[in-house]
Amino acid sequence: MFRILGKKGRPAARMTGKEKDVRLALAEIRRAKLRFGLLTGAVALLVFLILFQQSLAGSLLGQFTGGLEHQSATVLVYAADARRTVDGSRVTPAQVAQVAAVPGVAASGPIGEGSFTARLGDGQLSDTSVIGYELGGPGFPTTLSSGRLPASDGEAVASAADASQGYDIGQTVTVVPGDTPVTIVGLADNIQFNVQPTLFVSFATFEGLVRATNPDARAVLPNLVGVEPAAGVEPVALASTITAQVAGVEALDRDTAVASLPGVSSIEQSFNIILGLAFVVVILLTGFFFLIITVQKTPSLTLLRAVGASGGFLLRNLIVQVLLVIGGALVIAVPLTIAAVSGSSSAAFQATVDPAVIVTTSIAIVLLAVVASIGAMRRVAKIDPAAATARLTGGGLA
Amino acid sequence: MKLAWRELTRRPSRFVTAGAALTLIVLLLLALGGILDALVQSSTGLLKAQTAPLIVYSADSKGSIDRSRVTAEDRAAVEAVPGVHDASGLGLALLAGYLPGHTEPSNVAVFGYEAANLRVPAPPQPGEGYADRSLETDGLAIGETVELGTARIPVKVVGWVQDTNYNLQSGLWVDAATWRRALNANIPDAAVAPGTFQAILVTPEESTTPAQLETAIDAAVPAVNALTIPQAIAGIPGVAEQDSVFTSIIGVTFAVAGIVVALFFALLTIERVGLLGVLKAIGASSRTLAAGLTLQAILIAGGAIVLGSLLAVALAQVIPDAVPLTLTVGRFVFTAVGLIVAALIGSAISFRRIIRIDPASAVGGA
Repeated sequence: MFRILGKKGRPAARMTGKEKDVRLALAEIRRAKLRFGLLTGAVALLVFLILFQQSLAGSLLGQFTGGLEHQSATVLVYAADARRTVDGSRVTPAQVAQVAAVPGVAASGPIGEGSFTARLGDGQLSDTSVIGYELGGPGFPTTLSSGRLPASDGEAVASAADASQGYDIGQTVTVVPGDTPVTIVGLADNIQFNVQPTLFVSFATFEGLVRATNPDARAVLPNLVGVEPAAGVEPVALASTITAQVAGVEALDRDTAVASLPGVSSIEQSFNIILGLAFVVVILLTGFFFLIITVQKTPSLTLLRAVGASGGFLLRNLIVQVLLVIGGALVIAVPLTIAAVSGSSSAAFQATVDPAVIVTTSIAIVLLAVVASIGAMRRVAKIDPAAATARLTGGGLA
Repeated sequence: MKLAWRELTRRPSRFVTAGAALTLIVLLLLALGGILDALVQSSTGLLKAQTAPLIVYSADSKGSIDRSRVTAEDRAAVEAVPGVHDASGLGLALLAGYLPGHTEPSNVAVFGYEAANLRVPAPPQPGEGYADRSLETDGLAIGETVELGTARIPVKVVGWVQDTNYNLQSGLWVDAATWRRALNANIPDAAVAPGTFQAILVTPEESTTPAQLETAIDAAVPAVNALTIPQAIAGIPGVAEQDSVFTSIIGVTFAVAGIVVALFFALLTIERVGLLGVLKAIGASSRTLAAGLTLQAILIAGGAIVLGSLLAVALAQVIPDAVPLTLTVGRFVFTAVGLIVAALIGSAISFRRIIRIDPASAVGGA
């Protein structure tokens, strides 16, 4: 055994125990390149699938909900029959006034949201979400990265991710039909809504856009009422109070409102199911692979035990191989994910890779792979060195 | 071949690993495909149901039916374009639908229309509607009345239609006047004037192709934009992106299936080198042994397809309503064919090793 270990390096006798573990594991992998290569490739593709989906789902959800998540109102009031959809909600002026009078409300104001067509500076038409709020009131974007908030009608803060698409500070977009100009005066991070470039404007500007694009509009009602609680009042508690005291509305704290947006739970649950299945396949594949090769190697492992190799030595070898396979898979999968996510990004959908997701997923996969190998480890631990004397083949003595 | 079959039937435990992994991969593929199909269907069902080959939106709407408004004047101008055989209006309102005996409303997509299409008969009487079957699962029955929005506009259901949902909301098909009333009463900022629709469906004369008429309408009526139905589907925001993302993921999953089969048969072949050497020594050709291995790969893949499909059907029964999942025969066939091909390619990787086995090794190899 030790002659083989020391064949291409330092004499084995001078190696530490850990070095010997690694050398034996590596020697076996070198001699079975196809087997370990295929396993590493399969696990790499599965890990890539998991990371790719997580990146896409995270980006997609962020761009669906950013406009609501990163505005200042911590309580949002919907019409009761809106089914928690911003588009489907219309609150009346009377309800806006009643919300303002609820004890615990420090500030409140109407918030409007709609999807419009904007003509950019180069003449191209672009789908654009517009969120209107009362200047100085609740509903302003909280992640301003450059420029300033709107100070008057006709000004807007745009989603920073779309600055290069024609929404940069100083540029003017024209909402059609009606040819209403809106000038960008600031940029804010992560404020896209419905996966579209997004503008935060005054409520009066929003109202004007609705009337200009639909001359048949009979009235422009706010979609929501944005509320900031008084000091010491919890948003969740205030939301309950508003729902109880104002007829025909449902108030939600901001986090609940974001989680309740249509499509969010569908996307989350869909991807969770797919991710769960992918994790199970990784575990199954890794666990069964090492179990099979352990069974195949049992005669050799028995002989090793008979000539003095400890059970711990063999177990460490197995774990090193598991870690090498998973490590190799991660080395392949992570760059592949970064390339694929970058390739799938477009002006319409900007996907990004979150380093935190890669780190946590990688750690989870390594741990799960080790857990999945417990079956193989148990088999190694059960090997009886005395069995070597009864074997006719595989190095048996009898 | 007989030998391969006997090995499978007498030692099934040997093939459990690959079978289990492939079964889960089939489940994964069907779940991915089912979600993609449901998402695409929910976005495109309205357009795919149309008989007319052209749809006309207002020019500024950028192909979005939500934002489009085609006035009565623009419609008249479209109808006057040479080559137009028939034109009918189409409108949409996404509203809460209160079903009898339910306090929580259902999500309803109200379609106002003027002519029958592939999935819906001619418009019913004012105040009546054809409901999508998905509302039946919500507890609605024929003859019952759905109340729409805060204004509670009543619509009596007189029949069922299939696959007509929009934006994951259940379709309810009503005549144009009922749609206009429900929209104007519930969403005043989206109100439409009499005669205005969100889109016009256009059928060309027999002598005119849809492409010719599309060009003619765009040239004659600058306020509108005509699209063929496939163009309109391709132009729906997000459809192309989600199709490309899911198709990529499905492609990678098929590659994983191929590698799993390759890995498994590589291991199995290594384990059986001695036995295969003996078989060669007594006259079995490499071709015979490779054929046996191929048969085993196909049978394992076939078993995985059956089990994975059953699991997918079971998953569809217990999956939360929030997850869109539609399992179609086409998706099952596509997945089955894809997996068989992946299994064939994967098993072929072991052929080289089989060919290299020396029959002479049977003499002193044991």
